Order: sequence, then structure tokens, then C-alpha cells
Amino acid sequence: MIGVTIDGRTIAVEEGTTLLDAARSIGIKIPTLCHHDGLPPDGNCRLCAVEVDERGRKKLVSSCMYPIKSEISADTKNERVIAARRFVVQLLINRNPKAIAIGELAKEYGVVREERFALEADLCVRCGRCVRACESNGTDAIGMARAGFERYVAAPYDEAPESCVGCASCAEVCPTGKITYKDDGLIRKIWNRTFDLAVCRRCGSRYATKEQLAHIGRLGAANIAVEDIDEPRLCDKCRKAIYTAKFKTGS
Amino acid sequence: MMETPKLLSLDALREYRRGVISDGMDKVTGIWVCCGTGCLAWGSAGVLEAIKKHIGTISADIAVGVRCEAGGCHGQCERGPIVEITPHGWVYHKTRPQDAEKLVRFALEGDPASPTEDKNPFTAKQEKRVLSRMGKMSPTSITDYIRNDGYEALEKALGEMSPEEICRAVSSSGLRGRGGGGFKTGTKWEACRRSKSGVKYVLVNGDEGDPGAFMDRSLMEGDPHSVIEGLIIGGYAMEASDGYIYVRNEYPQAIKHLQKAIDDARELGLLGENILGTGFDFDIAICRGGGAFVCGESTALMASIEGRAGTPRVKYIRSTERGLWDKPTVLNNVETWANVPLIVRNGAEWFRDIGTEGSPGTKIFALVGKVENTGLVEVPMGTTLRRVIYDIGGGIKKKRSFKAVQTGGPSGGCLPESALDIGIDFDSLTAAGSMMGSGGMIVMDDRTCMVDVARYFIDFLVGESCGKCVPCREGVKKMSLILNDITAGRGVQGDVETLGEMARSLADTALCGLGQSAPNPVLSTIKYFREEYDEHVRDGFCRAGVCRGMFAAGISESCVGCGVCRKSCPVSAINGEVKRRHMVDKSRCIGCGSCFDLCPARAITPERRPQK
Repeated sequence: MIGVTIDGRTIAVEEGTTLLDAARSIGIKIPTLCHHDGLPPDGNCRLCAVEVDERGRKKLVSSCMYPIKSEISADTKNERVIAARRFVVQLLINRNPKAIAIGELAKEYGVVREERFALEADLCVRCGRCVRACESNGTDAIGMARAGFERYVAAPYDEAPESCVGCASCAEVCPTGKITYKDDGLIRKIWNRTFDLAVCRRCGSRYATKEQLAHIGRLGAANIAVEDIDEPRLCDKCRKAIYTAKFKTGS
Repeated sequence: MMETPKLLSLDALREYRRGVISDGMDKVTGIWVCCGTGCLAWGSAGVLEAIKKHIGTISADIAVGVRCEAGGCHGQCERGPIVEITPHGWVYHKTRPQDAEKLVRFALEGDPASPTEDKNPFTAKQEKRVLSRMGKMSPTSITDYIRNDGYEALEKALGEMSPEEICRAVSSSGLRGRGGGGFKTGTKWEACRRSKSGVKYVLVNGDEGDPGAFMDRSLMEGDPHSVIEGLIIGGYAMEASDGYIYVRNEYPQAIKHLQKAIDDARELGLLGENILGTGFDFDIAICRGGGAFVCGESTALMASIEGRAGTPRVKYIRSTERGLWDKPTVLNNVETWANVPLIVRNGAEWFRDIGTEGSPGTKIFALVGKVENTGLVEVPMGTTLRRVIYDIGGGIKKKRSFKAVQTGGPSGGCLPESALDIGIDFDSLTAAGSMMGSGGMIVMDDRTCMVDVARYFIDFLVGESCGKCVPCREGVKKMSLILNDITAGRGVQGDVETLGEMARSLADTALCGLGQSAPNPVLSTIKYFREEYDEHVRDGFCRAGVCRGMFAAGISESCVGCGVCRKSCPVSAINGEVKRRHMVDKSRCIGCGSCFDLCPARAITPERRPQK
């Protein structure tokens, strides 16, 4: 265990714990945007910046990625940190004025959109959570295209992505609602593709796309054979309910 | 030509070297036609062919005394095609195919003019250590390299030194990374050597993306074995088994020559398994980059080698711990690797002999811009900017006045005349608000607008930002909008302050070194040339006559009345009779600047526009 002092409070954490997790464990709130608990961190939004004092050397770091390896102290609210976050939020609100999450941050940090630098309004903040989610699922259907200011989330060649299974994880993790999908009857539309939805044989909910089930089957993650994908199955909730019920009768 | 054996021991290498040295080629006069990229563009291939053809016409018993081949870059590309005659060291500039007969005669019978390098002010005041072989041998011949002390350092390293000793030698030499940051090479090496891992990598950064810099390209093209020798020694010192050379695809000749060098070294037994019977296994592969500026950043370069998009990663864990494919990795720049054999062969003391306390050794600069002599300049660290620009560079072109020198590429800064006596090393340039970078040095005269220079570099970085982090992607773009406004006469009060604040925030928050240093051109020009910014914003005036519409032409008394300006003016704003002083109707002048450079008397200067 390593002692770390955050905003004057000292706690002991396991080596390698990120500064963000350490701060959260004692109730210190640090704003994040590209961070998502279920995804590998990327540190690209720079919003979670905090100042670290490594034996007298002070520097700004991304707390979501900074691993605690020695006894350090950190300041999450000083002038330098707030200035850095305000700078980032200002840039974001200039481009993403309609994103609710960004609007809230702008209010919190007291910045307004600068009309002179107002660029074409966009919902995407290029945090890449969607790309990392797709990567983590093993589908890799989307990625970042172009570079610099023109960077955007895209499927290869801007075509309907072949490896997409319609799981909508990308939309699920999107912090601004840029990525959307539509379920219409037993059809899901996302990324310019249509997918058949599977219906739970117990509760009737549309719980996944058939391609998603097939993908899970291919990964060997669940006992799903690709050839009988049309077989009626149970959704996650119902499967758990049935299992739990078994335990209940047992006791 | 000797047959290429596979050398199985250090003794075999020594024996082979003796054979190479005594093969009689040293008695043959060499005619080396530079076939580097610059000279080829001048048509050196034609010169080479003409000389070879001419040698074919002279009698065979005389012709055995000369040898004509393609050589490497001399660094003075504007004077190409360059031909050097060895062993005399005579260098000929701007040669043509019709000079073939003359050059062969000089080679056989001597040249009374004896144009040696010490007679050329550009080369005389240089201290060529890394560049010592350039242009005097064939870059594609491993025997030429061995004849010129090549692979002696490898022999010494494998035969007499332990990996620890090599790391210690590099550490005590004080060698610092030639690619930009100036990190101590030895510290990096020792950290990698200590990392416990069965697999380690050593990498060469040949991505060279700074506009105007070409020292790495020249080295890879003209002396590829020196980089490879350094890399093999590094592999041995850090117990790595694989090396990669990352070269941008825009450098086809560098790739070709490096590949040939790797193949030749492997054939000779200097690469592969059980090198020279020492039990050391090591091999090298070339990885071609797509030419993105950001791929010169270490973590982006590694991502690119791994086959992913070249974007940097957050670097809280050093590459020497977890680099390429998460294995301990050392990445050094081309010039840094080329220094390694020199240090191993001659010792750390020899290396420290020149340069400054904090930055020993020499540095190669790419001197370009408004100087008389442009090209590659290798000088000891600590040499003043004045010496490089005036003594070696020959001063400002057309005898105009000096305004600024930009060092360190797009991440560097612009230094004014008052900084000319700074001795160039890593620390002094950083202290002055610029940086060493990879050694680009762009000289600017009074016809350069410093706001426009800042705009140029920021626009370059807008185009080259990878776009991963918010500060660089959106921040550099915003700075570009402001700078473009200022240079178009749309600047508003407070813009310069905004730029300054943004630059500081960007330096504090950007993810990688490129983003953090991106504001340097803005910060340094504001620091040293604030007045020009204010003139643009407050008065709508560009004193350099660069920003269109922000000045009017003014004709001084030295006008000779030739009428060239009058004829060239697109809006007929200039009037005057022949041989009498001309006048400009400033209310009509659109400030296009087309008359400035045409005036033979240099009588036209930018002046303020009349107030509306």
C-alpha cells in the first residue's frame, strides 16, 4: 500500500491505483468526459487534469491514467487545475454547444460559447468511448478517421461496417448522444445497417440482435451455437431470474 | 572485388578488415559524384554517367587508377551536383556532364587549384565528425565503410566491452538525444538495460518531419552503415534482439540504402544469429511511415510500427519499461545512433572533448532560409548562432538585414538579433524560449513578417495535429483562427493577450510533446516581436510588407526611375516619368507587394496606409 495525499487528505491505496479512483474513493469529484468505468482509459479529453507533486516536481496529469507508484500529493482544485479545465471546456463548448454534458460543464466552469470562434456545431466530442467499446467487444467496426481538427468517428470508408453486430454499445457509452440507433418492431437500425432483434421467450423483451448473439457464440462466451441462432432464448434478466429461483427453492 | 565470406568470429572480422585495407583500392583515385536526393535533382546522375563513359574511353592501364561512383551527400545541396576527388579531398560544385573530361584529368594528373574543403568558407569552419565519411565513399558498399573505420566500434564493443560498460560509456559521454528533447541517451539505455524482459527493442527514429530539416535523410542515404552499427551496439548493450528503423516513405533512397546496408551486414555475419561467434543474436527491419508529423513522437511512432494509427499515448509509464508491443524499448534519433560508434571507438573522453559541459559533442544543423550558403552544418555544441549564420552561412542573402532565426522546427521558436551570441546547446536554446529540436535553423530577413511566421507554423500544426486530445485539436485551431484574423487585418484588441494565455494553457494540458510545444512559435514571437503584433492589430500595418493589404508601397529618393514598378503594378497606383523619382498613390495601392522585389534600386519599402 502507498500513502497518497489528495487535497490535503492522506489515504493508503494499492500500487497502480489511478489517481482518479483514489480521489473518488474519498468522495472527491473530478470531472471526466472520455473516461468510462467499463473501458480502458485513454486520457484524451484532459478534463480530469490534476496537479501532482512528485518530490517537489509539480505537473499536470490526467488523473484517469496516472498510476500511483510512489508517495505523492495531488491537488484537484487549485488555480492551475481550474484554469486548465476551463481552457478545455471553453474549447469544447465552442464546438459542441448542443451537447448537454458540455453545457453543464460550461455552466460549472463559468464559460460561454465564443461566437467569434464558433465552429459548425457538432455533438461529437471525439472522446473515442464508442471506438474503445467496439474494440473491447472484439468487433472493431468503427474507428477514428482523418486527423487533427477533422478527426471523426467513422466506419471503414464511411460504408456500412461489415463487422458491426448491432449491439449499440457505442451509443450506450456516448456521453453526448451523438450516436443513435432505432428499434422498430423487430428491426434495429444503426450505422446504416439493419439487424434482426431476438425476443426473449419468457418476457418478450427485445434484448439483443441475432448478429450479436452469433458474435458472442463465436467468442465462446456463452453456450450459443451459431447455427441455431433463431432458437428462442432467454434474455439476461430472465435467465438470472430463473437461476435465482432455483436457489430459492433449494433453501 | 573480394568474395563476401560469412564472418564467424571477431578474428575473422579483423582478418577481413586487413584484406579490405590492403586490396589496393586506397591507391586508386576516387571520383565521387554526389547522388543524394538534392544533387540528383540537379542532374548528378547525368554527371556520373558522363564521367563513367569518359573513363571507358581512356586506355585501360590508365583507367585502373581511377574509380568513379555515386557518393553520399555533402550537405551543400544548393551547389549541386557536387563531385569530390579522393584522397585529395578536392570538391567541385555545380558540375555538368560536359565537365567529365576535365574532372577525370584532374583525378589523374592533379588540379593546381586544389579546391579542398578548407578553402570553402561553408565547410572550412565545420567540425565534421558524424558527417566525416559523407561524400567520400559509396553509401551502398560495406567494404568502403569498413575501409573508413567502419564496424571497428562493433568489433571493440563485442570483443572488449560488456553491455554495462557500453551503457556506462554512453552515459559518461553525456550524449543527449539529437531528435528534439535532448534527453540523456545513457540514462535511457541504462533504464532499458535494467528492465527485466526476455524481449526488448531498439528503434531508430528516421521520421524527420520538421520543415527544412534533412540531416537524418542525408545520413541514412549517405552513410547508412553508421546508423546500423550504432543500432547493433545498442542492441548488444541493452540485450535487445530486434531493431526497427522507422523511416518516412517520402525518403525512398534512404530506405533503399538502409535495406542494402542491412542485407550486406547480414550476409557478412554482422546481423543475424550468433554474431561473430559471440552468441549475440540481433536483426534489423525497416518500417516505413506514412509521413505524418506526429509519428516522430515516440509513442505515436511505436503505435505506427504496431500497425495502429499513429497517435501518441499518455506516457506515465516510460518506453524503457513498456514501449513497443509493451516491451522495454529504446528509441533514438538517426543522428544519435550515428554518434554511438564514435563514442565506443574513441571513448567518452574524446566525445566530451568538444561541445559544452551540458551538451557535449557536435550537432548537425540544417541551415536554410535567407542566408548565402544553405545546407548541413556540423559544429561543436556551444558554437554561437552568429558563427553559424555569418561565418559559415555567409550572412544574409542580398545583404539585407537579419531579423530572426527559427530553431527547432514547428515546435521551436524565433530568436532575435540579440540572441545571436548565444552558444547553441540544448539548455541555452530552451532558456531563450526556443529549442534545439532536430536541428532545423531557418534564417529570416527584414522582409519576413513575424506574425505571419507564427501563423505559418500554427497552420502547419493544425494540419499535423493527430486530433486525439482536445487542447491540441481544438486549441491549435483556435489559435490559427486568431492568427489568420490578425494577418488579414481583422485582429481585435486583446488578441495577443488571448494568444499568450492560450499558448500557456496548451503547453500545460496537451497530451504529447508535440502539443505541449506547439505554442512555442507564438510565445517566442510575442516575446521578441511584440511590436509587430501590436502594429498589425492596432494600426493594421505589416512592416515587413508580407500581410496583404496591410501596407502601402512607398518609394524613396534612391528611385532611379526605371519604371519597372509602374509596369508591374496591377492597379496602376504608381506614376512617374522615366529617370525621375516615381510616386505611389497610396489610396489606390492594394498592398500586394509585387513591386518590392522587382525594384533594382531597392527604393520601395512598406509604409503605413493612409488612415481611412
